[in-house]
Amino acid sequence: MNLFRKDWTPAEADEWTIHDTVTVIISPVIYILILVGSALAALLIPAGFAALAVGAVLFVVMVKIINPKLSATSKGYEEKQKEYLEELEKKVKWED
Amino acid sequence: MATFHFLDWFWLLAFIALMIGSGVRFYRLGKRSESDFFLAGRGLPWWLPASSVYATHTATDTPMWVSGVVYKFGLSGLWYTFYAAWCSISAFVSTKIFRRSLAYTQAEWQSLRFGGLSGELLRGWVAGWQVFLNMFILGWVGIAMGKVCNYLFDWPLWIGLIVFSAACAIYVLASGYWGVVMADFQQGIIAFIVIIIVSFWGVHAAGGPSMIIERLTTMGEAGKLNPFNFTGLFDGDFPVAWFVTMMFIGILGGLGMGTAIDWYPEAQRIQSAKTVKDASWSIWAGSALVIMRNGIWAVAILGFFVLYPDLTEVKDYEMAWFRLGFENLPAGMLGFFFAAIVAIHISTISTHLNLGAVYITRDLYHHYINPKATQAKLVKVGRIGTLILLLGSFVFGSIMENITEWLIFALWIMAAGVWLPGILQVIWWRFNGWGYLSAWVFNLIFSWLVVWVLPAFGVLPHLKDYQQFWLLMLLGAVVFIPVTFLTKPEDMDRLVKFYVMSRPVGWWGPVRREAIRRGLIEGGKK
Repeated sequence: MNLFRKDWTPAEADEWTIHDTVTVIISPVIYILILVGSALAALLIPAGFAALAVGAVLFVVMVKIINPKLSATSKGYEEKQKEYLEELEKKVKWED
Repeated sequence: MATFHFLDWFWLLAFIALMIGSGVRFYRLGKRSESDFFLAGRGLPWWLPASSVYATHTATDTPMWVSGVVYKFGLSGLWYTFYAAWCSISAFVSTKIFRRSLAYTQAEWQSLRFGGLSGELLRGWVAGWQVFLNMFILGWVGIAMGKVCNYLFDWPLWIGLIVFSAACAIYVLASGYWGVVMADFQQGIIAFIVIIIVSFWGVHAAGGPSMIIERLTTMGEAGKLNPFNFTGLFDGDFPVAWFVTMMFIGILGGLGMGTAIDWYPEAQRIQSAKTVKDASWSIWAGSALVIMRNGIWAVAILGFFVLYPDLTEVKDYEMAWFRLGFENLPAGMLGFFFAAIVAIHISTISTHLNLGAVYITRDLYHHYINPKATQAKLVKVGRIGTLILLLGSFVFGSIMENITEWLIFALWIMAAGVWLPGILQVIWWRFNGWGYLSAWVFNLIFSWLVVWVLPAFGVLPHLKDYQQFWLLMLLGAVVFIPVTFLTKPEDMDRLVKFYVMSRPVGWWGPVRREAIRRGLIEGGKK
């Protein structure tokens, strides 16, 4: 298991993996650190700056984990989007 | 009352001209098609919808809301504003699923996910609800502007309610979502800069960060500096139970759709992004900015508390951030500040005018009334819908008295009874349209009963907000789970198409196996 894997095929990227699990755990933690960190840092409390720094590091880690997978999902999907758009218009018509 | 000088009026008029001008400039793009008028042709890079997410959720009522909870609870009050955290998970779960569906609106998504009569009823229901809700939001944001203008210039409330929303409608009518998102970009930048300037100016007026800490300590209010200042497990203003509930709602809500009131404008931004990846990062980044802004605001409100510690009326202390600016900024900067407030205001107004209109056009007119309408006709209906929303918002705005009370109630209506079904419809194949529809209908009944009616008659005690959430969720489940199992599952063909296109997460085993059997997806491990 390589958390920082870069070579995803679209089909592989469509599956839920440990990368998604780690991302949805890290992401809210970053938000909490941003909220608490920005308030405490504006009060010049050192813990606030520390929280923001940890948040920044976690953000970089999160991007490295999930961005290659997101790119592969996007790439695979966009190739089919035009066909899907045509089907959408047919599928949601009231007459059907 | 504030006194404006020449420079103040100059800033104000220049900003309004810039905002309206930058919106109207995209008239030619907006009128090309329904997709352009409501989704900017689905071609935006991530930073444009992100700035729109930020600008939209920075409304005139937002500093009042943040001021209200932080003045009362200190930094702990910030958790009231943390419901935006649903985006932290949604960006990587429901945002992807929704973007891949290509639905214009959440109402349309319902008819992709659920078929037959229940799917159609849900589409009509969500569309009608959203038209109402957008009018309602326009009304409450509008009356917040009325209050600001009343405080500043002693104008009657209706002037602030009507004048700026009407000015904003000029570019929304002309350019649709193209105008909204382009104006939001510059309004978002202006708003962020001014929020930082005014907040730090306010902190300075209170003596600076160290003086705020010292004064709070002297006043016996040092607890206001602690974001985790719990008052017990279940007791007091900030019990652990409330905090856990807010984390639960805020964060896990991102697994579903429609679990937060903000999902609906976000859904439009998600669809306007040019790729799935752009959609994900736009939602994540826009909401991260919202959260950072709340933290900065909170410190300014603590500064206000130090300056004015004895305010007891909500209507007095919810104006805290505005008062910091207007009472402390020098001449010439007042107009700059007010212009930024106008930017904050109309970025939200423009979003909800266009968002309500897409439900009127796409889900009601195009879907039910005239499915063969030309693109020109649809854009025209979009403009008529925008006007209807504008006029309706004036009616709603004129009947709202207390913003905070209405906001809390609206959040409960949206969040409690339909929170779990909003997740189930994404992660559980067996959940069907009748189950979701019943959750909606009974949530409206239960929320009125639990929040207003039963306590008024003494049948139920006045519950704390977190207790209301759990009770409403439980009452809803008592209805929608039996309804789901007593009615048929959705048609497998529909579910397979939906699964292959959107690739939802969770319990989709039977649908996935069928999709593999039909050779529509690769049959890897799951």
